Amino acid sequence: MHSTKYVVIFVLILTSTVAVLLAGFREITKEGAERNEDIFNKRAILLAVEDYLGDGVKVNNLADGEVLNIFDTQVKQVTLNAQGQPIEDGGVKAEDIDMAKEKKKPESERKLPLFIYESGGEKYYIVSVRGTGLWDEIWGNIALKSDLNTVAGAAFDHKGETPGLGAEIKDNPTFAEQFKGRTIYDNGAYVSVNVRKGGAVDKEHEVDGISGATVTANGVSDMLYKGIKAYEPYFKTLK
Amino acid sequence: MEFLNVFIKAAFIENLVLAYFLGMCSYLAVSKTVKTAFGLGLAVIFVLGITMPINWLISEYLLSENGLLGIDLTFLRFILFIAVIASMVQLVEMVVEKFSPGLYAALGIFLPLITVNCAILGGSLFMVSREYNLTESVAFGLGGGFGWFLAIIAIAAIREKIRYSNVPPALRGLGMAFILTGLMGIAFMSLMGIDPAVFTAAK
Amino acid sequence: MADTSVKDPQVKKAEPLFGKAERKLLVDPLNDNNPITVQVLGICSALAVTSLVYPSVVMAVSVIFVTAFANLFTSILRNYIPKQVRMIVQLVIIASLVTMVELTLRYLNYPIYKQLSVYIGLIITNCIVMGRLEAFAMANKPWRSFIDGIGNGLGYGVILIMVGIVREIFGKGSLFAGSPIELKIIGATDAYMIDTTQSVLFGWYANNNLMVLPAAAMFLIGIFIWIQRSYNQKLVDVS
Repeated sequence: MHSTKYVVIFVLILTSTVAVLLAGFREITKEGAERNEDIFNKRAILLAVEDYLGDGVKVNNLADGEVLNIFDTQVKQVTLNAQGQPIEDGGVKAEDIDMAKEKKKPESERKLPLFIYESGGEKYYIVSVRGTGLWDEIWGNIALKSDLNTVAGAAFDHKGETPGLGAEIKDNPTFAEQFKGRTIYDNGAYVSVNVRKGGAVDKEHEVDGISGATVTANGVSDMLYKGIKAYEPYFKTLK
Repeated sequence: MEFLNVFIKAAFIENLVLAYFLGMCSYLAVSKTVKTAFGLGLAVIFVLGITMPINWLISEYLLSENGLLGIDLTFLRFILFIAVIASMVQLVEMVVEKFSPGLYAALGIFLPLITVNCAILGGSLFMVSREYNLTESVAFGLGGGFGWFLAIIAIAAIREKIRYSNVPPALRGLGMAFILTGLMGIAFMSLMGIDPAVFTAAK
Repeated sequence: MADTSVKDPQVKKAEPLFGKAERKLLVDPLNDNNPITVQVLGICSALAVTSLVYPSVVMAVSVIFVTAFANLFTSILRNYIPKQVRMIVQLVIIASLVTMVELTLRYLNYPIYKQLSVYIGLIITNCIVMGRLEAFAMANKPWRSFIDGIGNGLGYGVILIMVGIVREIFGKGSLFAGSPIELKIIGATDAYMIDTTQSVLFGWYANNNLMVLPAAAMFLIGIFIWIQRSYNQKLVDVS
């Protein structure tokens, strides 16, 4: 048995050594980790416009530098307030908006990121949406064509959906593929794109659900409906 | 989300053992008889219920960037959480021993086991990643503990009965316990579609 | 990773660096004393990540790293650790190693870090690590403890990867999905789903969704135990 004094000193030395080591290790890796996170997020955004990046270009095959380059040269970032008005300089950059934090704020205080990707004279409006799936949060980026009605592409991700079921929204490219060409307005009325269990009936505004993942699919529908609607006031000013 | 809502979700729909397979080691090791399973189950409820709010306070006020220290210390999360759990377990052990010898006799031997029960640390990590508030984390702790309790009682009861069945020798004991847990997990999946809001909205 | 693998000169002089005893320490956990199927340790964090091989491999490597170095450091400190706070000291060592793994993954491969999320943290309570510290490292010399750690990490990793392989082939029809060497083994490819004129091997195979559920991991481990014990009669549970 050791004396209490020994125990206290031992524990203090151990914990402080460990804390210093870890803090040092974190400092070394911090920059790289942040860059990785930045690229990871930007890839997710570009995934929504994958078809328009150029012939046969796959987002996941792009080198890190290329991702950043596309973002610098071809993407315009706009930050909107909850009323759909662009916030001019002085506000946060769209890429720095943390959707998870925004979701926790009251709706009237949220900021919305909008990425406008330009390629071959066409503009694509990429909106970010976030909602709740079965276990946890789900989110996605939806690209709209310049008519602000037709979906040009979509990409989803999730925090902890069931692998093989809910997680298919990300893992199975055919799920996101279905969104292409769907429209979010039905004769001028906002309807969003709905995920229907058992298969899409209305091929204009619906996509097939994933069998066994009804709750996640409903979460996606709900997220899209609310998420895209938030951008509506701004889109109206563009039309 | 309300208290009851999170509780029901944690206990049934997102059962720590059957949906996430957390705390499997002690779950498999101590589920040979219902009596011991009962003791361990109670101890888990106890410890989860206590450590969850404490870890919540730590991650909110000590580790977060907006906390008291004003620096982002989230990388120390693992160490602090596990230290809290280990010391809480020890504290609970001492308090229970002093004030309730009866309870100590029932829980005593299980308490040290609990420190390394993944369900406890897992609960705290889930709490952080799901961004619960204080009430919700208490509810999640108690609900998660209750769900764990239910699961271990159920498997222990089945294992007591299955001893009289003619299981192939090589599959006896451990192998069968795994398969049973898998089956129970699938059975619990049928609770997945339940919207916990129905329980709270009915009132 | 700042490795400090060999650091005990006395051991080298006294006995061969890698003799029979060391070999046994390394090989035993693979079969006769497998942490998962025989010692029943460390099942918790394992099951959720085994639906795909690639995360299983990453998880296995992380666990090997943690068991090996936790064993090594505990063994070095074993004579100085006060008995009263033994457990907390061990946990601090493990937790800091796991934090290092987390930071490293974040630095090296952000997507996989995202995918493994809380399960990285759960390595701390992976009973193998703690179990080996208690059963071996507290009573043995550093080099042997290190080998024992690697052996047990490997034994764990082997089961993890085996479960991962079976689940991924039958659940997804692929191998190493998400990694640079993704292979499509059986079933329709994504390209086939979009364009059915593409021909694929075993295109009729429909993915078995049971395999992607976490419960499948339980069944598989149960079956592995069955097979192992049929060949290895001395492991049969008599109770």
